[in-house]
Amino acid sequence: MNISTADFWGYVGQMLDGAVVTIQLFMSGFTLALVFGVAIGIITLSRNIVIQAVWRVYASIIMGVPSLLIIFLLYYGGSAMLRGLFGNNLYVDVTPFGAGLAALTIVYAAYVAELVHGAVRNLPRGQFEACAALAIRPVSAWRHVIMPQLARLALPGLVNIWLIVLKDTPLVSLAGLNDLVANAKIAAGATKEPFVFFIAASLFFVVASALTMPLSNWLERRFARGLQRVKA
Amino acid sequence: MNALPIDPALAWESLPAMLRGLMTTVVVTVIVLALGLMLCVPVTLARMSRNPLLAWPAAVFVVFFRGAPLLILLYLVYYGFGQIEVLRDGPLWFIFGSAFACAVIGLTLNHVAFMVDVVRGSLEAVPAGLTEASAALGIPPRDTFRQIQLPLAMRYGLKAYQNEVVMFTKGTAVISVVTVIDLTAVANEVFELTYDPFTPMLTAGALYWCLVNLIRLGFRKLEAYLSRHHIAVEKQRQPASAGFTALAARWKLALSQKEQVL
Amino acid sequence: MTSLATEAPMASPVAEPLRPIAVEMTGVDKWYGTFQALKGIDLTVRKGEKIVICGPSGSGKSTLIRCINRLEPHDKGTITVNGIELDGSPGRTQDVRLECGMVFQQFNLFPHLTILENCMLAPRLGRGVAKEQAEAIARRYLERVRIGEQAMKYPSQLSGGQQQRVAIARALCMEPRIMLFDEPTSALDPEMIKEVLQVMEDLAAEGMTMICVTHEMGFARRVANRCVFMDKGEIVEEATAEDFFGNPDSDRLKQFLAQILH
Ligand SMILES: Nc1ncnc2c1ncn2[C@@H]1O[C@H](COP(=O)(O)OP(=O)(O)O)[C@@H](O)[C@H]1O
Ligand SMILES: [Mg+2]
Repeated sequence: MNISTADFWGYVGQMLDGAVVTIQLFMSGFTLALVFGVAIGIITLSRNIVIQAVWRVYASIIMGVPSLLIIFLLYYGGSAMLRGLFGNNLYVDVTPFGAGLAALTIVYAAYVAELVHGAVRNLPRGQFEACAALAIRPVSAWRHVIMPQLARLALPGLVNIWLIVLKDTPLVSLAGLNDLVANAKIAAGATKEPFVFFIAASLFFVVASALTMPLSNWLERRFARGLQRVKA
Repeated sequence: MNALPIDPALAWESLPAMLRGLMTTVVVTVIVLALGLMLCVPVTLARMSRNPLLAWPAAVFVVFFRGAPLLILLYLVYYGFGQIEVLRDGPLWFIFGSAFACAVIGLTLNHVAFMVDVVRGSLEAVPAGLTEASAALGIPPRDTFRQIQLPLAMRYGLKAYQNEVVMFTKGTAVISVVTVIDLTAVANEVFELTYDPFTPMLTAGALYWCLVNLIRLGFRKLEAYLSRHHIAVEKQRQPASAGFTALAARWKLALSQKEQVL
Repeated sequence: MTSLATEAPMASPVAEPLRPIAVEMTGVDKWYGTFQALKGIDLTVRKGEKIVICGPSGSGKSTLIRCINRLEPHDKGTITVNGIELDGSPGRTQDVRLECGMVFQQFNLFPHLTILENCMLAPRLGRGVAKEQAEAIARRYLERVRIGEQAMKYPSQLSGGQQQRVAIARALCMEPRIMLFDEPTSALDPEMIKEVLQVMEDLAAEGMTMICVTHEMGFARRVANRCVFMDKGEIVEEATAEDFFGNPDSDRLKQFLAQILH
């Protein structure tokens, strides 16, 4: 190693700071995507033609365009868009974090909404019929019968989205966010030790992905109270 | 946002460069997909092998290259190769030193790791009853694999493969970080020249959208071809699904039978 | 609710024309797209009567019974349940569903709720019954179907026969005047059919108005006041159980009986 130990630890400290930013962005992005996605998913079950049209266009764009492009669009064009929306006198400086958070939310809310639709499709129709036959009103049926089962049906897909968001988070460094990957790149360039720092950064994500498994298994067990066998 | 300042003249002017960028994106995608199809077979076999000397390294490979973000893998390959003296002074440096090759290598590592799971998942999705039935008929294991398991697994795996191809194609947008001039790189250049935040990104977005939907269309054709024998079955089942649609109609739900994305 | 009162006399086959009408269908048509599933159905069921409906698969039995509580809307004719005409208004539909309990072939228990919670849910939500009272009702009916000791289990922990008995208890908890059964024993293993039929016979003995789609001939002979044979969306023959099995009129029924009695 051709740098002093003090310098080395300095870079490690910088990477840890970056890791905190990455975790913050990932957590807030995933949470917002989840909240908006579930809301959008339920709203777009409606057959209202306007809602359907807006949803189809939104989903199609998100599914067809790289998230990196959306990050760039919101970062470069964010303040112009906000001015367009709220009037010209407003001036907001769009930070990389803000643009990244907005992009992750907009992109992955669509995926969560798709997931909600899939879960409703996979719910046996008998569940809806039994509610109707028991004279349970639709709103109550959703709250007490449908939603609790959707949570369980959507969980595996949600874990998937969690992992994808995790691996999309570093893209925001390309909009100038000073996150783990940006700092790894600085450290690698300065120390000429790309392997050390990039492998360390990779391991952060590998370990974070690996930790997801026990977490999701635990959640699955909690949701699956007495559901070893699921019948039609 | 009703008045997005899109500049048609700029879009038109930058279109040739954009299309050249799109070409690069397509070439990289095709090369890596081909490499992925070739390399996933030995790695999957190793991963599923009972020999721990094969299974363990393959498992580590998959966990690492699946879990690491593509962006870091590209940095690792691009900046890392230059540090390896054998490579730098070797005869193949004209390959390993080129940005294009680094992009292909980084993408391939990531893609192969995902492909191993796609292939493994599809093989495991073939019901055990079918292989047992085949064995009970006296068909040798080799033929059972080739005649029963493989064709069925291809059908089961097609959806997962399509998702991976689409995700991967969109993922190639980061290769500009190793100085490959792909579609996203061109859009960025146009932005830096004009400071028009909307026109280049939206033009590039439209081109990506066309590419991705072309891929989806291709897969739909392929799927229709591979599942010819299912069509009769689907027709028989129609009342049930029609019934569900009717039910959904009553509950005012809009459930299209469209593909699931994840 | 007095409809379950044990002193209610067993209706004798023909000689009770003066009992009030529970369900009346006149000229009911039902279309699925271009396919006509019900053709001019006329059916009158009086209070306390037990009707068994049978017929080949696809003949419209389920459709008929599901029209009675408007799980399927009918297209022509009138359906009146305990004096409430089903005209499509949500209020009337809700009222009719409060009058009718329904038991499905596939049980349709709520898998995420315990047996007790399954039985308490509808009274609490639909009738606004207080929690303690709902629990008391639920426990009473679970005892009645001889499954009281399983109250804290989840549906997946019970056998098919037990689940179907829970489904019957769940419907009874709403204290309906009419019970609709759509092939309640068709999804059960033979050794479990008896326990479910026994519960249904007990219910019949208590004077409940029952409309059952079933092919259990023993049950039909013991319990039914009238048997109805359906084919291709029409009611072909309607007779007392004795005549129905002993002296069938139409060739279609003769054929059908020959098939199922083998
Ligand atoms: N939701 C539906 N959409 C279209 N056709 C249906 C639907 N439900 C039932 N059918 C058709 O209506 C006919 C009667 O069905 P059903 O009442 O379920 O018959 P049964 O219960 O006597 O077997 C069948 O031919 C069936 O295919
Ligand atoms: Mg039926």
